[in-house]
Amino acid sequence: MLPILSLIVLIPLIFAALTLLTKTKEQARSLALVATVSVLLLTVYMYFNFDSSIAANQFEELAQWVPSLGITYHLGVDGISMPLILLNAIVLPLLVLFTWNDERKSPNKFYACILATEGAVIGVFTSLDFFLFYVFWELTLIPLFFMVSIWGGPNKHHAAIKFFIYTHVASLVMLLGIFGLYFAAWDMTGVPTLDIPTLIAQFQFIESGIVKDMIFLALLFGFIVKIPSFPFHSWLPDAYTEAPTAGSVLFVMLKIGGYGLFKIMLPMLPFTASPNLMITIMAVLGSVSILYGAFLALSQKDLKKMVAYSSVSHMGYVTLGAAGLVSLSVSGAMFQQFSHGLIMSIMFMSCGVINNATGTRIINDLGGLAQKMPKLATIMVFTFMASLGLPGLTGFIAEVSVLAGSFVNLPVYVIIALLAIVITAAYHLWALQRAMFGVYNEKLGTVFDINSYQTLSMGIIAILILYFGLNPSPVLDMMLTNSEQIISLMAVMGV
Amino acid sequence: MMDLMLFAPELSLVLTGLAVLLIGLFIPTESKKILGYIATLGVIVALFFTVSSLGTQATAFNDTVSIDALSQFFKIVFLVVALLFTISGIKYTEGNSSTEEFFTLGLFATIGMMFVASANDLMVLFIAFELASLATYALAGFEKKNPKSLEAALKYFIIGSLSAALMLLGISYLYGATGTTSIPGIAANADVLVSSPMGLVAVVLLIAGFGFKIALVPFHMWAPDTYQGAPSVVSALLAAGSKKMGIVAALKIFVVALIALQTEWQIAFAILAVVTMTYGNVVALNQTSVKRMLAYSSLAQAGYITMAFVVLTPMALGGGIFYALSHGFMKAGAFIATAAVTYMILSENKDSTDPDHIDNFRGLGRRMPITALSMTVFVFALAGIPLTAGYMSKFILFSSTIQSGFVWLAVIAILNSAISLYYYAKIVKYMYFLPTESEKISEPLPYTIAMVIAVLGVLVLGFWPEPFVYWAMEAAKVLIPGGF
Repeated sequence: MLPILSLIVLIPLIFAALTLLTKTKEQARSLALVATVSVLLLTVYMYFNFDSSIAANQFEELAQWVPSLGITYHLGVDGISMPLILLNAIVLPLLVLFTWNDERKSPNKFYACILATEGAVIGVFTSLDFFLFYVFWELTLIPLFFMVSIWGGPNKHHAAIKFFIYTHVASLVMLLGIFGLYFAAWDMTGVPTLDIPTLIAQFQFIESGIVKDMIFLALLFGFIVKIPSFPFHSWLPDAYTEAPTAGSVLFVMLKIGGYGLFKIMLPMLPFTASPNLMITIMAVLGSVSILYGAFLALSQKDLKKMVAYSSVSHMGYVTLGAAGLVSLSVSGAMFQQFSHGLIMSIMFMSCGVINNATGTRIINDLGGLAQKMPKLATIMVFTFMASLGLPGLTGFIAEVSVLAGSFVNLPVYVIIALLAIVITAAYHLWALQRAMFGVYNEKLGTVFDINSYQTLSMGIIAILILYFGLNPSPVLDMMLTNSEQIISLMAVMGV
Repeated sequence: MMDLMLFAPELSLVLTGLAVLLIGLFIPTESKKILGYIATLGVIVALFFTVSSLGTQATAFNDTVSIDALSQFFKIVFLVVALLFTISGIKYTEGNSSTEEFFTLGLFATIGMMFVASANDLMVLFIAFELASLATYALAGFEKKNPKSLEAALKYFIIGSLSAALMLLGISYLYGATGTTSIPGIAANADVLVSSPMGLVAVVLLIAGFGFKIALVPFHMWAPDTYQGAPSVVSALLAAGSKKMGIVAALKIFVVALIALQTEWQIAFAILAVVTMTYGNVVALNQTSVKRMLAYSSLAQAGYITMAFVVLTPMALGGGIFYALSHGFMKAGAFIATAAVTYMILSENKDSTDPDHIDNFRGLGRRMPITALSMTVFVFALAGIPLTAGYMSKFILFSSTIQSGFVWLAVIAILNSAISLYYYAKIVKYMYFLPTESEKISEPLPYTIAMVIAVLGVLVLGFWPEPFVYWAMEAAKVLIPGGF
């Protein structure tokens, strides 16, 4: 059988190297399109051969790598990773299309960064060995670091270094957790292994409760910072805002923090010494992020900053839903990751278009843009509605599932989060009203609407938001299977 | 005769060194370029002999020298560094009338290091140590007209002699206590060492002596000045080669000979490791001279390797040994990349007083793309970014530290590793993100070749570490035959 997982990881990475060697923009963007479309085709093929009714890893590939340390090359996908791979595979070719006519320095490096990020992110989603997982996890940093530093805004160096160090420290703490798990299991069995499913299974047999909790918290820290959740979110607004549009979209695709919660944290949770404490930590972080992020978004003057903070708020649902520990909330949180990826891509693309067309992103300096940019306005209004949770669109399904599901176990935290809904609606509508509607601000001069490539890419994503909003089952079914498996494990353990 | 056959690698270096010296006397300065090629060839031959004799187990010269997995491993480390040194030396010595001395000294230093790796007797170890040291003292002061180079050599020489004296005194105490200078012999007299205070005095003296050589804080004062003042190619040899010599010697003395006094020196090494890595990293943050920054980062790296002495499991020692090989590629590569930049700056402006200033790295990504890319690989490897040799080394060393329960030590090391990323990323930032008006220049070929070799080493050890990890673990077994 075709090593399909290796292909979807390696094609972008190999093409990234090839793209670096190109001389012109035309060559670079064509290679990028070829690579991302190939990944999309392979992923679609994989999706149709994927069995949504089982929770196990599928399409597995296994080879020895460093046997003396128990390191293997082990890949596989399940209902947690498949939707996220699908998300990346869909958005990345559209991102390449979106940037098709952009003028920028070193287009070869630019597209290489996009492809390298795609390969690294899909690598994280497919790795079933902690070593490999960590390698791809850290690999995501490098292209994004360059993305922000080379093509970013005025504060790019500060933002890039802050992002790099912040998340690298978190990764190191996570690495400590991995080491702890590795050796605890090694001591028990006498055989070194870094295989993720094996280590998760062996976690429950570790004797010392403190060791278990320390391992769990160290891993959790790594994921929480990447999500990011309050109070570790401060790298995000800087990085998202300073990154070029394509970079912001790539950051949005970086759903590895939330993925870690579902894939690694939840299956380990029932076996920690104090599961209730861990649940409380996650619930607090999630609900506070939702509310705090919304408040910060409300107070932003810069449209892109507002979108960045809204991201903190929306990702709070992921943490809260994971802590909700019922099948509905967990699958809702997984769906939020998928939905947030689609919605935020358009939000950031819109910010980028507005900034290019008018030279500013300050909401109060805009005004009446809908008259001059009707196509953008249509897509933007649609996306803002999806983001604030209008029924019939993906955001609604995700947030309702999280809130309704979590209410069973975490009523207080859900009530805190509910307060944010009003604020969320307020800042979305207020921003739209000030930027897009009303009298056109003549100071902005002549502005042009989005070009056909941009319309096509943003339009397709918008259609998907609607499609999956009306009919979520193609992705939700996979998530449900895995979340039910997680929940049944909890039930057995009496958590 | 049998004994001599075991030393084919060393002998080929001796012959090459003498040949280079002799030929150099008879040819004019402009054709001395050939000497660099001869020296490189000699190193390659020695490397070939060493690799082809892997797995040999023998002792020679009345058991004073032993060929085993440990010595073979470190010989490869030294020869790799020597190879990078001779290749990049071809460019460095261009037009220099003392070319033959440069290469001969480099080769003799390498021979000394190789004998330290195979020494089975403290006297052999000491003599080999001094052979290597004397050659490197001279090399550090190779730029006779450059006051910084002279200062570097003088500091290095004075401190080096002091450390040699301390070491010799330590050895004499051990001889006094046990009546032998043989390393296994001393280990066999464990009861004497434990019962007499002489053992303890020897431990203190030897730690101070080796502390100077490995540049552990607070015995490090000479290192930044010397690494900065010496020619960059020589700094590569010092940081990547002669520091490893200190480590292999310390492994032999402490882990083999003085294992009975383990509890006494273990705690000392724990403190030295923490202080050294933290001090090195913190001071490196503010350096504007890249060579100085690399010198302080070298302290930090030595601090990490010292953790192996604290943990003392086969895996930790293997990790430390593997680290030595990785560090050889990373550090030598980084210094050679700096040498390439220095060369470029000096060829543009002969009077530049600080050619290794970080400002000179501005826009290097455009000016010297291969150098910049290689430097990026080296500093990311030094910082421990995955799929590089540096990550693999840290992975083994740090994880073994956790395994044996020294979680606090691993946490400090990991935090340090995070700090270090800041100054390593700063170099990358200067190379790729800061603008410069200067023109693109053609990169000096020998430097480029040396850098490419080092990059390959860093990547191979990162991607395909299995055989090297295996060798390092085998080497570690020599130190603790029965395991712990």
